[in-house]
Amino acid sequence: MEKSLWNIYKTFFKVGTLLLGGGYVILPLLQSELIEKKNWIDNDELCEYYALSQSIPGLIAANVSIFTGYRLRRTSGAIAAISGMITSPFLCIILLAKILEEIIALNFVQGIFWGVGIGVLVLIYLAVKEIWHKSVVDKYSFSIFLIVFLLSVCLKVSPAILIVLSIISGIILQIFKNKRENSVKEDKE
Amino acid sequence: MIYLQLFLEFFHIGLFSFGGGYATLPFLYHIAETQMWYTTKQLSDMIAISSITPGPVGVNVATFAGYTASGVLGALTATASVILPSLIIVIIISKLLEQFKHNKYVKSVIYSIKPAGCGLLAAVAVNMFLSDMSVKGIVLFVVLFCLSLHKKHDPLFYLGVSALAGLGCSFINS
Repeated sequence: MEKSLWNIYKTFFKVGTLLLGGGYVILPLLQSELIEKKNWIDNDELCEYYALSQSIPGLIAANVSIFTGYRLRRTSGAIAAISGMITSPFLCIILLAKILEEIIALNFVQGIFWGVGIGVLVLIYLAVKEIWHKSVVDKYSFSIFLIVFLLSVCLKVSPAILIVLSIISGIILQIFKNKRENSVKEDKE
Repeated sequence: MIYLQLFLEFFHIGLFSFGGGYATLPFLYHIAETQMWYTTKQLSDMIAISSITPGPVGVNVATFAGYTASGVLGALTATASVILPSLIIVIIISKLLEQFKHNKYVKSVIYSIKPAGCGLLAAVAVNMFLSDMSVKGIVLFVVLFCLSLHKKHDPLFYLGVSALAGLGCSFINS
């Protein structure tokens, strides 16, 4: 499918419509729509955008959509993507605003809400499985994964701090690599 | 000037909420206390509603607050304002990444943040699992999980099946 602005808008309109139960579902939705169906980006890029989105201000789903839109058609693609993403949520709230309390009181709405929560959980689990193969590739990346996971679950450390720590770790890793290369060169000389 | 106020409040949220998910909530409660746009009770309803309406909670609440404050135009102002900081920051970062993508340090940083992103998402799943798990929840999870092993389904399939299951459970209960 051609990456025209209209197609980007339409794709993100669909993603925005299915974005139920919190912004994290953006990942499985983009995997299905943009990676598997359209082949516009790959899991590697999506994982990078998700990590970057956590380290900057703003809503995760919005940040990931803008990164992806920019990757497809630069600034205009970013605007097309985010506009598409928020169209359905916007219309939905405007229509529901007046009857909010009545809806919340309905028993079956609570039931649907509970069920969708479990569905979202399964989707996130499947998304982790997909990006796992692209991000955890050796001992170093596995230890980053494990440390971030444990700090986040056990100590509730903020995601932004964890991403900043892994950025620092990446810089230190490169400094070590540079030193090693230099010493190998010196040995040869 | 209500539009300027909406712009300032929601631009502020977009600019200062880190980490996504429910990071926006403290800001939204603060608005409920200081402005007349919505009450704390309405905000709690709104948060519950936003799990069954499309879109992130932050966007949903912005639209709702803008609408109650000043109709459709207010809703448009608040929604655009909460997104605008993201749009500016992400475009700047994307441009920088494009320019420096062959830099060794940038490559090493990207290689390091990818497993971190994966770890964070895994943590979200575990926290969600631990926060409200009942026997029927585990049963539904296991059923959906088994369906996913059999064949790769569209996300809509899982959301549809789980919504129907929830609907069914609420009729059995009542």
